[in-house]
Amino acid sequence: MKSYFYFLLPLLLLIVSCEDDDDPVSTEAELSIAFRGEFGEDDLAIQSATYDYPTGEQLKVLLFQYYLSDLELLPADGGDAVRLSDIELIRWMSATEGPVATKTYTVPTGDYQGIRFGLGVKPELNAQDPNNSPADGTLNENEFWNASARYVFAKIEANADMEGDGVFDTPLTYHMGSDALYTTITFTQDFSLDGSNDPQLTIISDVLAALSDGNNTFDISDADQQRVHGGNQAIASDIWNRLANQFELEVR
Amino acid sequence: MQRILVVLALAILFFSASCEPDPPISCDTCPEEPVDRAISGPSTPLDYSLEVPDYLPAPILDEANPLTVEGIELGRRLFYDKIMGRDSAFACADCHQQDKAFTDGRALAAGIDGRLGTRSTMSIVNLAFNPNGFHWDGAFGKLWEQAIHPVENMLEMDEDWENVLIRLRRSDDYPERFRAAFGISRTSEITQELAVKAIAQFEMTIISADSHFDRVVYQNSEFFTEEEQLGADSLFFVEDVPVGTLHPGCGHCHNAPSFGDNRFKNNGLDAVSSLDDFSDKGLGEVSGSRFDNGKFRTPTLRNIALTAPYMHDGRFATLEEVLDHYAAGGHGVENEDPNITGFSLNDRQKAALLAFLKSLTDESLIEDSRFSSPFE
Repeated sequence: MKSYFYFLLPLLLLIVSCEDDDDPVSTEAELSIAFRGEFGEDDLAIQSATYDYPTGEQLKVLLFQYYLSDLELLPADGGDAVRLSDIELIRWMSATEGPVATKTYTVPTGDYQGIRFGLGVKPELNAQDPNNSPADGTLNENEFWNASARYVFAKIEANADMEGDGVFDTPLTYHMGSDALYTTITFTQDFSLDGSNDPQLTIISDVLAALSDGNNTFDISDADQQRVHGGNQAIASDIWNRLANQFELEVR
Repeated sequence: MQRILVVLALAILFFSASCEPDPPISCDTCPEEPVDRAISGPSTPLDYSLEVPDYLPAPILDEANPLTVEGIELGRRLFYDKIMGRDSAFACADCHQQDKAFTDGRALAAGIDGRLGTRSTMSIVNLAFNPNGFHWDGAFGKLWEQAIHPVENMLEMDEDWENVLIRLRRSDDYPERFRAAFGISRTSEITQELAVKAIAQFEMTIISADSHFDRVVYQNSEFFTEEEQLGADSLFFVEDVPVGTLHPGCGHCHNAPSFGDNRFKNNGLDAVSSLDDFSDKGLGEVSGSRFDNGKFRTPTLRNIALTAPYMHDGRFATLEEVLDHYAAGGHGVENEDPNITGFSLNDRQKAALLAFLKSLTDESLIEDSRFSSPFE
């Protein structure tokens, strides 16, 4: 009887070891990218926070949003960029939302040297009309100016207390967009994705930095600069350039 | 002792009153028969594809409530049938009247017995394109969920759903229609959920997109008058204006082709001293955030000439009053939408803007037999 045992044991081991131990090595990872809104040193809090403006006024931010086109990862070996999304609308518009909006993408595992996106709606999509988008689609009519001006690439809206009386009764609306403003932003930073201990990528955008870079501060007290919409893109460019230059990538 | 007797007598009175049989349910055509019976007849509903002009975006369809020919027809009947209200005396269509673009012409909705609600009846056109919940305050995520509450609301139809279901199950017509729409086999399977889903299916089909504006801009079959053109290009859709110029720019929130972004905003109606002081908190009541107090849906302006009075509480009787309100520029409340800034509007401009707004009336909507009462 014991001999059967000694016969069966190696057989069992053989069978077990012959099982397909080829655990599939995952070639894809779920990558979550956090988009964090800030106002200076603070997290962006829609309506509920009161922010100091460099020229002495105070602001309550009601809306901050921007489009991203062609969000891509850049492989370390210099190969073709990995497209995460053709178009995204990143938006903060409610006091009930936190400062971080997260989007998740399935990407190939591997080594990467950076991330890239276009700030705004890329020309080929900007040429499309909103009726090509579902009513709840990213490129719906609510972000569309008209047939000639096309999509609004970014919006900053706030109510300001200009007199220091605690009354936020001066509306500020900055709507920017045109093919000429479309800007490609590239971050170079090495990171690896293996599907298990992946780093957290956070793209940070700062409303204050879009209005003031420390040297130049957009003059919100000028009544001519409190509403910047389609026709005032010369002024909008001033904000846009700071907006495009202030993005940061954090990899942890 | 006397006090004890009084209490005893009151208690007996109370219990005897509550033991009285419920009043009969009024329904002339409802035979008295067992609540549950087998239903025969066709039970394979036909898929229905919404007819949407190519200048509108793709509709937002509810996978949990696919449109069918039979479901839509059932919903249409339920929408117009007073069987849905208390004592079979009030229908959805009593407030949502087709000739008024499915509003009622009242400042505040008037329910059964003329009971006044707290808000104005909303138009129910183009709900298929609404991504942001339903009702003035977005309280209901799905259209069919919204349809539950008017039946129960004591200021609207004031009925117990159980009574409605008894009437529907006893009807000599509805069980077969429910079977045709949802494939059920017994009357006991007629539920609140199926009833409101049918109503929602009908409401989804009410698409309004054949106004003079549509025929000018999208169909190229008509022309704007000079006045309408001024209202459209220089006032309503205006963006490209000189630096610092104040302008109406209604299109910020009411952009074409939907003419309403369905987002929630404080549009400057009330001069409250604190965000806590709004008499109707609107979105704030739903979200629980005081910063959302006083915010209401931006509705479509399609058929606006038919849907007076205006605003969530019907405070403005005319479109002229609405324009005066926006021209005045709100009250500087901290959560007011920053696009409410005020502007000047001379008589000519006001007439032009009104002419343009009237171009949004879809005359075919109010005549369309697909949306009218099936009982007439």
